[in-house]
Amino acid sequence: MGYSFYDWNNALQQRNEYVADRLKDGSPVVAVTFDGGVLMLTLRGNQRKVFEIYDRLMMGSLGKQSDIESLRLAAIDSAHREGFERSPDDVSVQRLVGFGLSPAVKKIYNDQSSIPLTLRAIFAELGRTANEDHLFVLGFDGEFRTLNRVAVAAGTAYAEDQGEAYVREHLPTTLSEALRVGLTAWGISRSQLAPKSAREEEEFDPLRDDGTDAPRVTDDPAVAVREALKDGATLEAALLQRDTRRETKYRPLTAAETESALSEYR
Amino acid sequence: MLELSSGRGNFAALLSSRASATPFDGPAAHREVFAGSVRPVLSPGEGLATDPIHGTTVIAVKYRDGVINVGDRRATGGFAIMYDKAEKVLSLDDYTLMAISGSFSKAMEIVRYLRHAFRYYERSQLQAMSLDGKLSELGKVIANNAMAAMQGIGIVIPVLSTFDREANEGRIFFYDGGGARFETAEFGAAGSGSTQIRGAFEYIARTKGPFREMDRDTALREALTLLEIAADLDAATGGAGKVLPLAKTITADGIADVEETTLRSIVRDIIGQEPLAVG
Repeated sequence: MGYSFYDWNNALQQRNEYVADRLKDGSPVVAVTFDGGVLMLTLRGNQRKVFEIYDRLMMGSLGKQSDIESLRLAAIDSAHREGFERSPDDVSVQRLVGFGLSPAVKKIYNDQSSIPLTLRAIFAELGRTANEDHLFVLGFDGEFRTLNRVAVAAGTAYAEDQGEAYVREHLPTTLSEALRVGLTAWGISRSQLAPKSAREEEEFDPLRDDGTDAPRVTDDPAVAVREALKDGATLEAALLQRDTRRETKYRPLTAAETESALSEYR
Repeated sequence: MLELSSGRGNFAALLSSRASATPFDGPAAHREVFAGSVRPVLSPGEGLATDPIHGTTVIAVKYRDGVINVGDRRATGGFAIMYDKAEKVLSLDDYTLMAISGSFSKAMEIVRYLRHAFRYYERSQLQAMSLDGKLSELGKVIANNAMAAMQGIGIVIPVLSTFDREANEGRIFFYDGGGARFETAEFGAAGSGSTQIRGAFEYIARTKGPFREMDRDTALREALTLLEIAADLDAATGGAGKVLPLAKTITADGIADVEETTLRSIVRDIIGQEPLAVG
C-alpha cells in the first residue's frame, strides 16, 4: 500500500484540526508590556495558567493542562541549566524558545505516532523598557511569532489578531491601565474567534452540526468577561516587575490589586 | 516530559549530581588567589582542625525588625591582601542572606548552586522550599565539601540569616566544617576574626540589652564596632577606613542594603575619621 502525498497532507490536516478544535474554547492569555513591567493575565478555573520560568522570564498558556505542564518544566529546566552553567544573563527568551522549545515541540508535532502538544503559549522576557521587553507566542506545531508590547494566545489566529490590535490602539503606561486594557483584550479574543461575516455564514449553514458544541459566546468583550466571572472564573494576573529591588521580578497580583479593574464587570 | 535536544534539559539531574559528588572544584589558580589565608603548601594532617583557614570576619545580629549582616571586604592569599572589595554577604533568595568565610571560590560556587537550587525548586514545584529544607541543603553542600576542606583546600563556614515569615522574626544559623547547623538566639559570626570578638557580643548583650530589642542603627553601630575590633585584632580582616564594610538587612519586606550615608556616618564615628570609601 503506497503512501501518497494526499495521505500525508490529509494526516497533517487532521492533526491541525484536532488541535485547533480543542484550543478554540480555551481561555485566552494576554501579555502587555508597560512602564512598570510585563503583565500577563487570563481568566481561569482551578488550574494555574501563568508561571514564572526564570529570573526575567514568565509564561502563560492555554491548552491541555498536562501538555502545558511538560512545556513549563522543560522551559524551567533548560533555563536553569543554562543559567547555572553559564550565567543568568545568558538565559534569554529568544534562545529558550527559538533553539530549545520550538524544535522540541516541532519534533512531537512531526511524529505521526504521537498526539501533538495541545497548547499555545506566550513567553515573556523583561527588558529595560517596555519597548525592549520580548514576547514570543509558541504554537502546537513549534512555529512561533515574536511580538512587541502585546501578545495574545487565543483559540484562533483571528482572535489573537483582534485582541492584539485593540491593545496596540490603547497602549498602557500604568499597571491599572494595563489591567483594564488586558481584560478588554481578553474579552475580545474570547468572543471574536472568527470574522463576523464568517460567523453569520456559519449560522445559516443547515448542514453544520453544532448541537454538541459549547454555547456560542457573545462578541461583546465586556459580556464575555462578565459571563466568565459569573461562571466562577477568577482573574489570574502576574507581573515581571521592572522597578523592584527584590531579586524576584515575578510577582502574582493580589486580589486587592486586581479588584478595581474587575469591579467594572461586576 | 518534553525532550529537548542533547545537552539541554534535566536540570534536576545536573543539580543532584553536583550536590552528591565532591563539588565545586574551581580552577587551581583561582583557588589560590581567593583561598582566604590558606597557605600555598600544607603538609598532610594539617587543615580543618588545627588551622584557622578562613580569613575574614562576617557578623549577623538580630534587631527589632529582623537581622543585620555586616562583613569586611578583604580577601587574602597567604600573607598578601589580594582584593579589598570582596562581597562576603550574599543573597540566596529574597529573604535569605549567606555571610561567607573561608575559600572565596568555593563559597561563590556554593552560593551559585544554592540560588539556583532554591529557585528551581520554587519555580518547578510552585511552592517555596521550606526554611528547614534550605538549611539542610546548605548543610549537605558543606558536608560534601568536608573532604576537600580536610586536605586544606576550600573550607567554607557560612552564617545563614533569614526572615521567618511564619514566626515573623529574623533567625540566624551558623555551621561547622562538617555541615552541622546551630541556631543562635541573638548573633552569629564566622571567620578568623570572629573568635577574638566572641566575648564582646556577650558583653554587649548583657550590659546594653539584647540585640533583638535594638533599633536598626543601634544594632548596626554595635555590629560595625565589633567588625572594626576584629579588624584590629586579625590580620585577615579589613578595616572600615579604606573601603566601607558591607551591611545588609533582612526584614518582612525582604533584603535591603543599608544606605551609604548612614553607613558612612556610623563608620566615621567608630574610626574617628572620614572613611576613604575607595570606589
